Formats: sequence, structure tokens, C-alpha cells
Amino acid sequence: MTKYLDLSLNEINKLLKEKEIKPLDLVNEAYERLANNKDLNCLITLNKDEAVARAVELEHMDVDNILFGIPIVLKDNIVTNNLRTTCASKMLDNFIPIYNATVVDKLNEKKMIIIGKSNMDEFAMGSSNQTSYYGPVLNPWNKAKVPGGSSGGSASAVSSRIVPFALGSDTGGSIRQPSAFTGIVGLKPTYGRVSRYGLIAFASSLDQIGPMSRNVYENATLLNALVGYDEKDMTSADLKPEDFTRYIGEDVKGMKIAIPNFYMNDAVDKEIREQVLVVIDMLKSKGISFDYVDIDYIEYSIPLYQVIALAEASSNLARFDGVRYGYRTSGFKDLDEMYKKTRAEGFGNEVKRRIMIGSYVLSGDNVKTYYDKALKIRRAIHDSFADVLSKYDLIIGPTTTTFAYNIGEGQDDAVKSFFDDLLTIPVNMAGLPGMSLPIGFGKNGMPIGMQIIGSKFDEAVMYKLAAFIEKELDLDLDTKEETR
Amino acid sequence: MSKLVPTIGIEVHAELKTKSKVFSPSLNAYGEIANSKTNVIDLGYPGTLPNLNREVIDLAIKACIVTHCDIAPVMYFDRKNYFYPDLSKGYQITQQTTPIGFNGYIEIVVNGLKKKIGIERLHIEEDTSKSIHEGESTLLDFNRAGIPLIEIVTKPVIESGEEAVLYLEKLRELLLYAEVSDVKIEEGSMRCDANVSLKELDSDVLGVKNEVKNIGSISSVKSAINYEIERQKNLLEDGEQIKEQTRRYDEKKSATVLMRMKESNNDYRYFPEPDIPYVHIDEEWVEGIKDNMPMLPDELREKYQALGINDIAVKALIARKDVASFLKNVIKLEGNPIISANLLTGDVLSYLNKHNLTIDKTKLDEQNFNDLVNLLDRGEISSKIGKELLNELIVYGGTVSEIIDKKGLKQISDIDSIRKLVRQVINDNMNVVEDYKDGNERSIKYLIGQVMKESKGQANPKMLNEILTEELSKDS
Repeated sequence: MTKYLDLSLNEINKLLKEKEIKPLDLVNEAYERLANNKDLNCLITLNKDEAVARAVELEHMDVDNILFGIPIVLKDNIVTNNLRTTCASKMLDNFIPIYNATVVDKLNEKKMIIIGKSNMDEFAMGSSNQTSYYGPVLNPWNKAKVPGGSSGGSASAVSSRIVPFALGSDTGGSIRQPSAFTGIVGLKPTYGRVSRYGLIAFASSLDQIGPMSRNVYENATLLNALVGYDEKDMTSADLKPEDFTRYIGEDVKGMKIAIPNFYMNDAVDKEIREQVLVVIDMLKSKGISFDYVDIDYIEYSIPLYQVIALAEASSNLARFDGVRYGYRTSGFKDLDEMYKKTRAEGFGNEVKRRIMIGSYVLSGDNVKTYYDKALKIRRAIHDSFADVLSKYDLIIGPTTTTFAYNIGEGQDDAVKSFFDDLLTIPVNMAGLPGMSLPIGFGKNGMPIGMQIIGSKFDEAVMYKLAAFIEKELDLDLDTKEETR
Repeated sequence: MSKLVPTIGIEVHAELKTKSKVFSPSLNAYGEIANSKTNVIDLGYPGTLPNLNREVIDLAIKACIVTHCDIAPVMYFDRKNYFYPDLSKGYQITQQTTPIGFNGYIEIVVNGLKKKIGIERLHIEEDTSKSIHEGESTLLDFNRAGIPLIEIVTKPVIESGEEAVLYLEKLRELLLYAEVSDVKIEEGSMRCDANVSLKELDSDVLGVKNEVKNIGSISSVKSAINYEIERQKNLLEDGEQIKEQTRRYDEKKSATVLMRMKESNNDYRYFPEPDIPYVHIDEEWVEGIKDNMPMLPDELREKYQALGINDIAVKALIARKDVASFLKNVIKLEGNPIISANLLTGDVLSYLNKHNLTIDKTKLDEQNFNDLVNLLDRGEISSKIGKELLNELIVYGGTVSEIIDKKGLKQISDIDSIRKLVRQVINDNMNVVEDYKDGNERSIKYLIGQVMKESKGQANPKMLNEILTEELSKDS
């Protein structure tokens, strides 16, 4: 069996250019790997016929860019024309969209090949990929463990090397946390960096689509393809084009980095903290200076998230009502019953729980008690981060408080899943870019992720540090699965 | 119980006449095939986002200007959350907290006295789709979903159905002239709700209000409000309590009927729309729109009066924007405004009304009309021929000189021919001539008429007048 998909992006590109391989070789290999890793349950929907047809079509085209012919999977909350998009929910089990998300058009322009739609927590609500209507996803490092979530299928697919790339979405940590749990590189771009048009909204003011990849350079390369102002998304930023790989390889000497005290508190697994400190010591020896800082109100991020994200979600998910598309209950007497039964049957428990909390915090006077107040605290967190970032190049800390845990764990605890995102949520609240980078393994053999947080629209600087750390650590991130 | 007086507030929804919808590129059109002017945004498809149409803000600013509203320098949109099949997203995008306009007024004249009707707020929102009920099922037409609306809410300062009508007529006129909306109630591009309550004359406490929704015409507003006032008065006088209700006006019964009881505090779970950034409206934006405002009815009224146009014609012109703008162009060509206004509000308007047309749908153009006015102005044709020419121009078009040639309407400007006719008429009407000489000045008009008749209306009126006067002054 071929192993082209273990090669670096540059190597694959070279082979394609020299006509040593064809895009179809890559596509076939991806589907073989997928078949051999069926148990991981990474994908909900395969795009095989279309992908093969596209690969054949590309044979007659020039290899005009580095992403040409490269397989990718998309989280199943990103809308794809004529390709089922479910949000891992019974509600959209039969939903075949009639338009493309802006990012999908962009990937098509680069002639990437969409292998399928990846599994996720239902409507991106969860941190362990256990709320999916299509069943849990397994962690390739240890199949008893969760891959994290909500972009669990994307993380697992890249980690197991089924594909070199995936798109995820991150509302409170949904790209970074699974990336940390599965030993891959995942970036949540600055809010507004990537168009949200065609991303099925969870919490509109927090959601962002981002790249998930095997390494830093390839991550930056995929981000290059995703960004840009989109007139269809009024919250997208109108910025000059830039190359996110441009600082990769540059010396990091003289950089100033802040570590929030909160990120190294006792709630974080000791082994994870120690690994972060090892990296800090290494970087100090390379001429980077570090300071511990406080960020105001950061400790309130979870309740804040529960108010803001769930309020928005309760409204965003109101459109799934059985009237125009998606699931509709079979038996009903009147309109009210149609609504109630459709939504009761179509949504899973976690989604219903979150819709109820979100509706509650917006109801009557609660909107003042909870929602308006949460927005003020959010603003304060934003300003405090901005203040720190005006004095430091970057902020770092762990991505998660724990290692990937066992499947089935924490299912009954409605609050626990939010705590998985303790360290990632503040970044969404502030609209900043955040990345998770593998920095080692625990005694249990599971990967540890380090988080890098930058100023708004400063992703290129984050990639510079991340690439430097990656090179210095030179980790072996292959899960050593014999199945491929 | 002291005397009961009504307090009335009016809510008007007006569709803005933009090219496209408020949050999507779909066409803003009326009367198209159902669901042909709609797209994934209007249908609330998952993943779609609203894209605010700047033209909507432009028109809303215009509406603020004509209603003397303050304009919010920074505004945002809110989501109003509720479930209904005509609401595709499960929420309506509206402006709850920061209406674009507030604190305005419209001046009306009630029994000769000016009264300002205060406007509480003016905000932008999207329309829902249209439900069409057919037997057991309901069909949805999303052509209307996302059409931009402004909602204009008065303070509770209106005191009668008559005042409400004056307010609505004035508002309608302003929105029409500012080119903000077509304000056609029958097509639903203007919709009125009235909030009616009664309070004791010497009390500051307002009574419990009932809302009458979607009243089908301005005249029905008057009947609906007056009916509601009577109904509530009777209830109160019988010692009953008014309960908060939503009612509708049944035109056949000439009565308001219960739609539903208002539940206490309908909970719409408003919160700021996160998909649309704040909109900043600076002075420059507002000034730019002010500079391009069309002339409004009050200004126009003053202008017409200054030109010497009579009040009846002024009123008729203001009521017909198409005719008024035609007149504006004729005046630009330096046609006599009084003659023009009289022709337009006389023969032209009655033709338009009879055939239910706007003036641009006729063959009449400003240049030909102006030629006709000039001939009349210089006394070169009689009003009878003027009339005939005008009818020809409206129905068939062509130029004035062509029609004159074709129909043999060429004027008789030959002194001898006219004198011959004058003498003949004098001879035939000696008794009238005697009357004239006895001091009955009006008799001359009869004689002129007779000569015109003899000449088939073609005698040059000016010359005719001179020759007749000359002939009559001769001793017989």
C-alpha cells in the first residue's frame, strides 16, 4: 500500500508536479486509510464519488498551488452544496444543502479534494464528541479515550493520518482542545479572520472556522487559503492579504511572552503544567523572556460562556422547526405540537439542555441580570487581554486542564464538559487567535497541547513561535497504527 | 366617574422601496410568482448570515428627516425571538434598543388649529413571509420575507379617529414624497395598527389599551377607532373592566372583533443581533441625504401658492405626485404655471382618474404640453381648441403643430375674415347688442361665444376681442 499521505505537503506537491503521482492516488489512499480506521468513526458522510471525479478532473490541470489535489475533511457543521451536512444531529440527518460555505468555495479554488464530512458533537455542543447522533469518535492514541470536541472527527482524522488536513470550528475551544487531545496543530483564527458564511451557527459572536493539521507550517499554509474579507459575512475583517508562513524559521530571540497565572493554577493537571514549564525553560535558553501576569475576570469565563454562547445558541437553533428543511415529526395535531415533537425528537439531550439555559438567560428580566452583565464582563476580559498583549508579543499556557479521558466519562455531569474549555474559552471571549501545539506526552502516553495566544490578526507571529518550538522538540507524533 | 377621553397611539409599518431586500440580494418586488424572489438567506437556511443593505439605512434616514426624528448616531439590530411558520429564522431582526429615529413629530391641522403628533420611535425591521391559508393547510410565500420595513410609533396623543386619519394622511404624503415607500395600503406596503384606551379626563393614568391590528384602509382606521372608543365606553359605563386584547377591524360588520387576549408580557427574549456590526451614522451621511431630498408637500404647497395656483388645484396636485412632478418639469420649461396647473388638475386628471392611469402611462409629454400652454398663454388659441388639442395629445401623442394641421384647427388670424364674422353676429343678435350698450358688460361674452361658434373655435381670441369691442363701440 502507498504511503504518500505520510509525506510532507511540500514532498507531495513535488511528486504531483513531477507527475510521479496523481491526485487520485492521494484520494484512494485517504479512503483506504479511512476504511482501515473505521472504528475511529471520524466521518459521518463520505464524498467518495465526487472526490474521485474531482481527482480525475484535476489530472488535466496544472499543479498551480501547494494545496492542489490534497485531501481534506470538513467538520459537518460547514455547509457543502449537494453534500449532506448534518451537524451530527438527527435534526439534519436528511439535510442536503443547496449552497457552499465561503470556505468551501475557497478550498475548491485551491483544488483541494473534500473526502467527507467529519463527526462532531451535535451542533458543536460538547467537548468529547460523545453527543453526536452518529456515535462517539475514538482517539487514535488510545481508542478507549475521547478525541475531545467538538471538532473530534476532524482531530481524529488528522491525528490518525487519514488526511493531512481538516477544518474545524471553535466556539469555546472546539478546535484547540481536540487538537491537544490528539497531538495535532489546531488554530482558532482571530474572530473575523475567516468568513462564517456557511458555518451552521452555534454562538455567532464566538464561532470561528480554523485549520487543523499535522504540523505548524502546513497549518499556516491552509490558513492562507481560508482567510479574506467576505461580503456575505458582515463580521469578517477587510485586511490586506498576507502569507502566514512568512516568519516561520526566523529567530525568536528577544520575544516577550506572558503567562497568565490562571493558566498554571491547580485545576490544571500537574504533568501538563510541568511539560509547559519544560518548554518555557527551553525558550528562555533561546533568549525569550517570560512574565507571569493576571487577566481580569478570566476566572469567570465559564459562567460567561454559558450565558453568552447559550443565549445565542438558543436563538440560532430556533430555525430548526420542521417547517422548511430537516427533520419533522410524523404525527401531530396542530402547529404547536409539530414544533414541540419535532424539536424534542430531533435534538439530543445536550443540545436541548443548552437551548433551555440559553432561553432562560434571555427571558424577561434575566436578560439584564445575566446577559447584559455578561457582555460587560466580556468587554473587561477583552480589554485586559489587549492590555497584556500591548506589552507582550504573545501569551502562552496549557490548552487543556486534563489529558483525554475515557469514553463514557463525565457524560452525566452537565457542567464538567464546560470545564474542559476552561483555558480556551477566554480566547473566544476576547476574539483573539489561539493555537494548540503538541509539546509532549504524559506518562499515560497521551499528547499534551500548549496554547499560544496572539494579538488580533497576529497569527503569523504565533506560527513563528510555534514552528520554533516544534523544531526544537522534534516530537514523533505518529500514532504508529499498523493499519495504514 | 368623570368624563372619559380616548388616548390613541398609531403604529405604522411601511415597506421601504429599495431595490433588494434588507439582508439579502433578493429582489424587493410585489406581485411576483410565489417564492420566486427568495434565496437561502430569506429562507433562513442553516449557515446563512444577514447582509445589511445600505440603501435601507438611506431610506430610513429620509423617513427620520421628514418626521423630524432625531437620528441615532450609533445603532444596532436586535433579535426578536418567537416561533411562527412565517418567520424563517425563528427570530425577526429588528431594532428594539436603538431605533434609528426617535423623538420626532408630524404636524397636522385639526379644525384649523395646528397640532403636533409626537413620534416615539422609528425603527428598521424585516418583514416575515406571507401565509396563505387554503383549507386545512397553510402555504408560505417567502417573496415578502426580508423586505425592509420601518415601523413608526406615535406617542399616545391622538384623541379621535378623525385625528388619526389626518395623521395617517400626512404621514403617507410625507413618505410618498420623500420616495421612502409606495405606501399602498391595499398592497400591504403600508399597514396600520391602532392602540386605543380611555382615561378619565382629570387623570394622568392611561386606561387599559386594546390594539386593533392591520386595518385595511385609512377610512377604516377612523371607523375602527370610533367603534373601539364607543365599545370601551359602554363597557366602562356598565362597570366592566377592559382587558388587554388584540382585535381586528371587520369591514363588513363595521366592528372590531377579538383576535386574541394579550398574554402578560409576551417574552420575545430580545438580544443584540451578533451577526450585524454596529452602524455609525455620522453628520456627513445625513447631510448627503438631506441634499438630495425631493421637495416635500408643505414646501410644494407654499411654492404653488406663491405661483398663484388656486387652492383647489394645489390640493389636487399634492395628492397626485405623478402630476405634480409633471408640472415641475413644465415649469422648468417656463410654461405658465397657472394655466398648466388648471389643465393638469382639470381635463388631464379627470382622464387619468377615468382610466386609472398615472400620467407617465399616457402619451402626454412635457414639451408638447408646454407648447400647448404657450399658445393658450399668448391667446393664440381658444380654450376650446386647447381642450381638443390636449385630448389628442393624451390619447395619441404627436406635436401640437401636427395636430393643428391634421385637424384643420389652424387659427383664423385674418382681420377681414374675423370682422366679417363679427358683423354677422352683431346683425343676428341686435337685442344682445342693445343689452351691452345698456351697460350689461357680460353680454360681450355671449357675442364672443357666438363668433367662436361660427368660426368653429378657430378665430384668434385676442383679435376677436379687439375687433368685437371696436365694432360695438361704433354707432349703429
